[in-house]
Amino acid sequence: MAAAAVVRGIGSNLSKNLREVRLHLCQISAASQGTRDFIEQHYVTLKTANPEFPILIRECSGVQPVLWARYGFGKEHSISLDNMNADQVAKALESVVNAKP
Amino acid sequence: MLRLPAVSRALAGAAHSQGSIAITNNVRTSARASSNMVEVFVDGKPVMVEPGTTVLQTCEKVGVQIPRFCYHDRLSVAGNCRMCLVEIEKAPKPVAACAMPVMKGWNILTNSEKTRKAREGVMEFLLSNHPLDCPICDQGGECDLQDQSMMFGADRSRFTEGKRAVEDKNIGPLIKTIMTRCIHCTRCVRFASEVAGVEDLGTTGRGNSMQIGTYVEKMFMSELSGNVIDLCPVGALTSKPYAFTTESIDVLDAVGSNIVVSTRGGEVMRILPRLNEDLLKYENILSPFTHTHAISQLFQGSEVGAIAGGMVDAEALVALKDLLNRLDSDTLCTEEIFPMAGAGTDLRSNYLLNSRITGIEECDLMLLVGTNPRYEAPLFNARVRKSWLHNELQVAMVGHKVDLSYSYNHLGETTQVLQEIAAGTHPFCKVLAQAKKPVVVVGSSALQREDGAAIFKAVSTIAQNSRASSGVEEGWKVLNVLHRVASQVAALDLGYKRGVDAIRKNPPKVLFLLGADADCITRADLPKDSFIIYQGHHGDVGAVMADVILPGAAYTEKNGTYVNTEGRAQQTRVAVTAPGMAREDWKILRAISELAGVTLPYDTVDEVRRRLEEVSPNLVRYDDVEESNYFKQAHELSKAVNQSLLAAPLVPPQLTVKDFYMTDPISRASQTMAKCVKAATEGAASVDEPSIC
Repeated sequence: MAAAAVVRGIGSNLSKNLREVRLHLCQISAASQGTRDFIEQHYVTLKTANPEFPILIRECSGVQPVLWARYGFGKEHSISLDNMNADQVAKALESVVNAKP
Repeated sequence: MLRLPAVSRALAGAAHSQGSIAITNNVRTSARASSNMVEVFVDGKPVMVEPGTTVLQTCEKVGVQIPRFCYHDRLSVAGNCRMCLVEIEKAPKPVAACAMPVMKGWNILTNSEKTRKAREGVMEFLLSNHPLDCPICDQGGECDLQDQSMMFGADRSRFTEGKRAVEDKNIGPLIKTIMTRCIHCTRCVRFASEVAGVEDLGTTGRGNSMQIGTYVEKMFMSELSGNVIDLCPVGALTSKPYAFTTESIDVLDAVGSNIVVSTRGGEVMRILPRLNEDLLKYENILSPFTHTHAISQLFQGSEVGAIAGGMVDAEALVALKDLLNRLDSDTLCTEEIFPMAGAGTDLRSNYLLNSRITGIEECDLMLLVGTNPRYEAPLFNARVRKSWLHNELQVAMVGHKVDLSYSYNHLGETTQVLQEIAAGTHPFCKVLAQAKKPVVVVGSSALQREDGAAIFKAVSTIAQNSRASSGVEEGWKVLNVLHRVASQVAALDLGYKRGVDAIRKNPPKVLFLLGADADCITRADLPKDSFIIYQGHHGDVGAVMADVILPGAAYTEKNGTYVNTEGRAQQTRVAVTAPGMAREDWKILRAISELAGVTLPYDTVDEVRRRLEEVSPNLVRYDDVEESNYFKQAHELSKAVNQSLLAAPLVPPQLTVKDFYMTDPISRASQTMAKCVKAATEGAASVDEPSIC
């Protein structure tokens, strides 16, 4: 699975540039399916590799799935995960991990 | 007229709740039961109702309010006031509408000659012994007797006899009793016995010499005692520390119960004056100052940390978080600890009351771990008691033995018992495996211990095991956490760290205390020349150790968002304006951010709420609970936790009623609460009251 490879690639580097990651998703809509799959399949691996890092998963009905990344000094960046599948969600996560704030 | 808002709210409540409300409250008709519906006529208008519906409920369905005193839709039916008598066509006698189930083909005449005569007669009897206290009675204007005598009573009196008088009873410092006004509807008796579970109130004597009271001088010792004030239809039971109202929510526990706030001339419960001028302590001399001077230089290059207390609204929490994040600090902590290990607070399902409060009415087995819900969340406990009474709920407890007002299976108080249940070796596991809708509730006080993570792991294992066992539906949630402070869930939703360990590990130079009065961090834990800012409304401990005190607003003085233990976001509204220079907390933080050079990007409450939505969208979904999932993932992560359970027994901090009254800064500052504690420990007579009516 491409997503698993990406997650392995991220490894314990979540806290390299980031301070906090937030995932907003809807519990039932089709647009959030990929995000839901990503959490179900890869969240545990990600968290085990980064046990102190806050990965806030906030489900709310009817919202568009979004990935929020917070860097130092309160700078935040968001990526819409609308209609993405789990692999694309993983890629989005990778991009915020590697981005310089 | 008759408390219509209360009635329509009750009907709405009947529609919302999923479980069975045992007392025949089936006013809503369901399509399934249409085959055995009964046709009845109300004043000639036909209406279909389920069999078993009473005449009173049938009339309410059509929109006709029948006057009553003793009937209450949440209590059992008594039928002793006789005010609800209505005529049924072709029946010889009028029937008590609250108690009589309808029969097919009845024509209920709610305004006929006989009905009106019955009402006038009953009203005349009730008023014959009722004292002429209206001008001095607290209930004036909201008195059922006044309203109903205007609508249904006779216009002239023929009373020339003498009235009887009854001695006042002392049942505690919260309830003022003037028993002469009592009309013996017995609502208070039924409430105490059924809902509160405390069988203290009763009737003595009969006829003219009937009295309601505790017979021997005894305090009505229950955490729900104040509710009888709302129940009493006349001015017999009123509030001792009293007055006039606004709607808000209660933030003194984490249930977020909707309340109506009482104020008098700008003050609510507290009696001690609040600090409402900014003060800077300079070498122990307090002198007034203005914000600009100290604060703009304060944050230059220093490490900042913050602790949030138990009654902070979500707007202030997010403003504080943004402020500190912009100063490159992540050291934001809550006073209440929650285990960091495993998934921690990433997954909402880990820290919410997932089954919801209404879910209690559906469940068939409840396991309480290390909590005393009677005093930590009394309304939650009342719901459990209701389920225990009407829905055959079995309750078991692991923790110190306490009186919960209902009987339960006490499994023990050691962590050993918890471990055995988690491992599957305890005999209780068989009972758990057979339950169709089990619920496990762990109290937040149990998670405050050093082995909190291990306790959580054990509870999570128990929950997962019972889910896996036969009979549990797919969507049913087993694991629940019962919080004790109102701001905890919002803080966890926003991403605060739990417990002040982070501050102990990296003591900051500047510490911001937002309503933090639980004495978690003292000066000794911080570097020598650290600067402490306290922002709050009632600071006792926190304000004493601060260098700067900024007066914030209490929950009754601001429009704030609080999230209750179920995860339901609710708002408080302004009931009184904050005194003096006090401001809403987020506005103070916004001002500080400007002085510190990192201006926050919001100027109005709506903009703050839009920011709340960016962090966690459920915070602005008012009055709704968002489902949270991923229990399996949370459990997997918690299994990896390597902590072992300590031998210390699970004892919740509030054990008896005297621990109930003073648990947070607002109640600690209240004279009335102090009287309650004194009465609870030394008896009702020990509290001396001024002898005014």
